[in-house]
Amino acid sequence: MLFFNVIKWILWKDILSEIRSRESISSLFFFALNTLFIFSFSFSVDRDVTFALMPGLIWVAFGFTSILGLGKSFLSEVHNDCLSYLQIAPVPKGAIYLGKFFGNLLLMLAVEIILYPLFMIFFNLDILAKLPSLLIISMLATVGLSALGTLFSVLTVQIRAREVMFPLLLLPLSVPVFIGAVESTQGALSGDPFSAYRHWIELLFIFDMVMTITSFWVFEFILDY
Amino acid sequence: MISPQLRGKLWKWNGTLGILSGFFIFIGLFLGLVVSPPDYYQGEVVRIMYVHVPFAKAALLSYTTLFLGSCVYLWKKDLIVDNLCHAAAGIGVFFTSIALITGSIWAKPTWNTWWTWDPRLVSFAILLLILIGYLMLRTFVDDKKREASYAAVMAIIGFVDLPIVYFSVEWWRTLHQPMSISTRGISIAPGMLVPLVFMMIGTTLLSLYMLMMRTQMLYLQHLLEAKQGGLLSEEPS
Amino acid sequence: MAISMVSLLGIKVSHTYRFFKALKEVSLALQQGECYALFGPNGAGKTTLMKIFATLLRPTCGTVAIMGKDSVQDREAARQALYFIGHGSFLYDDLTTLENIKFTIGLRGGLPTLGEMKIALDRVGIGPYTSQKIRTLSAGMQKRLSLAKAILAKPTLLLLDEPYASLDEKGIDMMNEAIFDFLKKGSSVLISSHDRVKTAEVAHRAGILHNKGLKEIPVTELVHALF
Repeated sequence: MLFFNVIKWILWKDILSEIRSRESISSLFFFALNTLFIFSFSFSVDRDVTFALMPGLIWVAFGFTSILGLGKSFLSEVHNDCLSYLQIAPVPKGAIYLGKFFGNLLLMLAVEIILYPLFMIFFNLDILAKLPSLLIISMLATVGLSALGTLFSVLTVQIRAREVMFPLLLLPLSVPVFIGAVESTQGALSGDPFSAYRHWIELLFIFDMVMTITSFWVFEFILDY
Repeated sequence: MISPQLRGKLWKWNGTLGILSGFFIFIGLFLGLVVSPPDYYQGEVVRIMYVHVPFAKAALLSYTTLFLGSCVYLWKKDLIVDNLCHAAAGIGVFFTSIALITGSIWAKPTWNTWWTWDPRLVSFAILLLILIGYLMLRTFVDDKKREASYAAVMAIIGFVDLPIVYFSVEWWRTLHQPMSISTRGISIAPGMLVPLVFMMIGTTLLSLYMLMMRTQMLYLQHLLEAKQGGLLSEEPS
Repeated sequence: MAISMVSLLGIKVSHTYRFFKALKEVSLALQQGECYALFGPNGAGKTTLMKIFATLLRPTCGTVAIMGKDSVQDREAARQALYFIGHGSFLYDDLTTLENIKFTIGLRGGLPTLGEMKIALDRVGIGPYTSQKIRTLSAGMQKRLSLAKAILAKPTLLLLDEPYASLDEKGIDMMNEAIFDFLKKGSSVLISSHDRVKTAEVAHRAGILHNKGLKEIPVTELVHALF
């Protein structure tokens, strides 16, 4: 089916480019790591306070990293005018969106998976048992950020002041993601049972569904204006 | 899509609309600020409500207009509809800012804080950020058609997201600040209801009046630039 | 004049950028197997016209129909029939020539075999460079690769904006031979170029775009026409 064919090819191209250049994943990873270091120096307080702040710190770090990573997801398409080819290709545009979306999702998840163990080490947290729930929460939150980030990336990639406009547009709309992610991460880290933070997960899920579907529908109006 | 005849008729009625809105607002303010009784708990401060609530509703009305206009634009690609959206966003900024400022002024004597993480106040702050982002986006896009489409997409995404923002902040607030007093807890005495209704009607009419004015202004500006660019093939009506 | 099944018809196409009108009242009809050469001074709107036919831009008024499909209403169907080689190469730097071909053609839903791809690359003269990344290829080689992709895409309408740019003399002759191949197979070709002599070798018709209008001239007069 042409639709899934398109998603497959876009994913293939992006993953292959990334494997060859390793440009995004390494810069994102080191950026997130640096943010972690700065946090550990800025918040040199006692262990209990650090633990209480941890969900916020994690998601601020991931948030900044997402802005960096998602913001340039369409930059490779502008070079050599590849975006024009995608526009006139006889394929459903929503499939292009999904291909890019999944690529961004994989990239951000890869960075997060490497970072969580590093969080454990640097902040001396014993969260090995909680890692599965943390990763699920990360997955849901990253889906939300990637959904909006992919859309705003293509929206801002050909305008002036791109680097400023991307976070300016993305952040206010991502508030539910951050609230949901921080609250559920806090619940998971504190060892609360799932029912305690369940409605934050539901919030993330609703956000993900609504924003992914809406972005999927409106994407074509950005390519074919 | 909107024929010149219809535009002419709407424009003729706009003056009446302006006068009517001024009338309602004047009466509403007079009744609200002078005649109506002070609130049992909040005293004179409650009079801010006569400005805050109608302006907040007008802000949401403008935002809804922006959303619907954006959907229509993407469907019909008529640049007058785009002018309408642009106008609605500007007016939305006006009403949202005043709603936020009056909300803050209300908060200070009532809860002794300039800012409270009340979900409605936070949602309005985010609404303001969305609208400012929208207007900034428009200035940074080069081609008119591209600008109109990008802005429409932004408006649709923002409109769909705002309710989610509201609910997320509300859940968060009930979790972290359970002792806050809700702004909804005011029982409206009859003496307060009348000026409030007048103000509501007045601000709604005012927002429509401003919308028409601003849309016409943007349309004419667009035409003027087109004419200066030497590209009008026929004279517009 | 009967219009055959394969035709490109543009009627009163005009386009405005922000507040600058690029085109005014252009009418063009192309038959199957016909090559039309578009000329004009810089800024006349040649690239804008090409982009409108490529469905990259929407005309402010008028219609463009490719094989009977309207470029706005039936956009995907119209796009199926055409292939555009423009100023940008549509190539990804980190991928090799073969991978770029696979992506471009695979996306459209029809993956050529390795043999077919190699034949196309040989045809355009970059056969030895199958595993080279685009980053390492010169502009001329990238142009040849763009042509190879067009050959594999088998379009009904081929749009070429400055096809001879970056090519050496042998490359230009190769491009013309490839255009002849396209025409023989029944495709139509629309070329926008500054090279009158070379374009006159392949074109059946020619037109000059100026003062925001299109004026057709005989190909024989092309080399000496003033504008």
